[in-house]
Amino acid sequence: MSHSTEIDSKEAWGGGQSPFRVSYGKMMMWFFLISDALTFGGLLVSYGFIRHKWPAEWPKAENVFTHFPFVEQHLPLAYVGLMTFILIMSSVTMVLAVEAGHRNDKKKVIVWMFWTIVGGATFVGSQAWEWYHFIHGTAEGALRQVWDMETGKYVEQVVHGANMTVNEYGPAQFANYFFFITGFHGFHVFSGVIINLIIFLNVIKGTYERRGHYEMIEKVGLYWHFVDLVWVFVFTFFYLL
Amino acid sequence: MSEFHDDYPQYELMANHSEEEGKKIRRTLWNVFWIMLAITIVELIIGAMAPGQGWSGAFWLKALFIGLTIVKAGFIVMAFMHLGHEVKFMKYVVLLPYTVFMLYGIFVILNEGTYSGDPQNKVKMEPTFIKQQEKLKAGHGHHDAAATEGHKEEHKEEAHH
Repeated sequence: MSHSTEIDSKEAWGGGQSPFRVSYGKMMMWFFLISDALTFGGLLVSYGFIRHKWPAEWPKAENVFTHFPFVEQHLPLAYVGLMTFILIMSSVTMVLAVEAGHRNDKKKVIVWMFWTIVGGATFVGSQAWEWYHFIHGTAEGALRQVWDMETGKYVEQVVHGANMTVNEYGPAQFANYFFFITGFHGFHVFSGVIINLIIFLNVIKGTYERRGHYEMIEKVGLYWHFVDLVWVFVFTFFYLL
Repeated sequence: MSEFHDDYPQYELMANHSEEEGKKIRRTLWNVFWIMLAITIVELIIGAMAPGQGWSGAFWLKALFIGLTIVKAGFIVMAFMHLGHEVKFMKYVVLLPYTVFMLYGIFVILNEGTYSGDPQNKVKMEPTFIKQQEKLKAGHGHHDAAATEGHKEEHKEEAHH
């Protein structure tokens, strides 16, 4: 698998070749991913700040995310576990598509890209389902102070679910960060599915076969693995800690 | 394609490999997948079983979760994204700037989060939730009794604004 052998530093920077031993497109994809990772890192760091500020009041994830489709029982974190599994699985099918591309095996690339797209779409759908239950909340709800526009005062009121100003689970920032970070990640998954779809159609049309290499699969693969990578961190900081 | 290509080596083709090599690579990739799946399942089981707030082992549990997450991230970046197979210049240019910025960010939140988490700093930033928590603790029948001096002062402050 070592397609790039280590080279002497003097030789590497001597000109006539890239000292990084990668093509322009792949390198730029890496640079984009670094900047995107810094954005997500900044979001998670600020989440950590707010969370560290409310050590006692912050809700525990296993009390919030207890729903599972078609099951009445409370199953804490089971659904998000399944979502994580689906995303890691689609990451595996993606890397298998990349591997097939390195052998110029068009058929296998199509098969594995197809499953990657299915996995990604399932994940986006699952996230919509998770949001639905988060927004609608429990039947009991919780007593909260809500700002009343007409009187200009806080009034006590039973709140169900969550919105941007108040939620039944904990401090308002809990829902704000949940919406923003999982939403931002979900949008990345969504655009990843669209990009995968375009590349998938190009593979079927034979664009990369004519080009002689499937590096485009590798580049979208990098983006797709990055989305999985971000989810691994969101999963830990939102649901486990 | 070749007419647009300059004298550089064609890096796009360097990753290509044969059928036998592919078999070996696929085996490695599936192994990585099983390891990551096992880690995720272990995390979920521990997370669902762990006791709530105030438990003495909570810090070490969190440290364990973060450690396992970094292990998973390492597998994704090094195996799935092939960074482990790039030359060392490429590895450094990707990993070093990011690591430096993130370590600095984490250092800052631990400092500033602790400061603003201090009760006297907290009230200024969000009075609503604190008041409501105090009321809940005091019980619903004694709203007026639970309204302490601090509350009245905050109401005055709001009126000023």
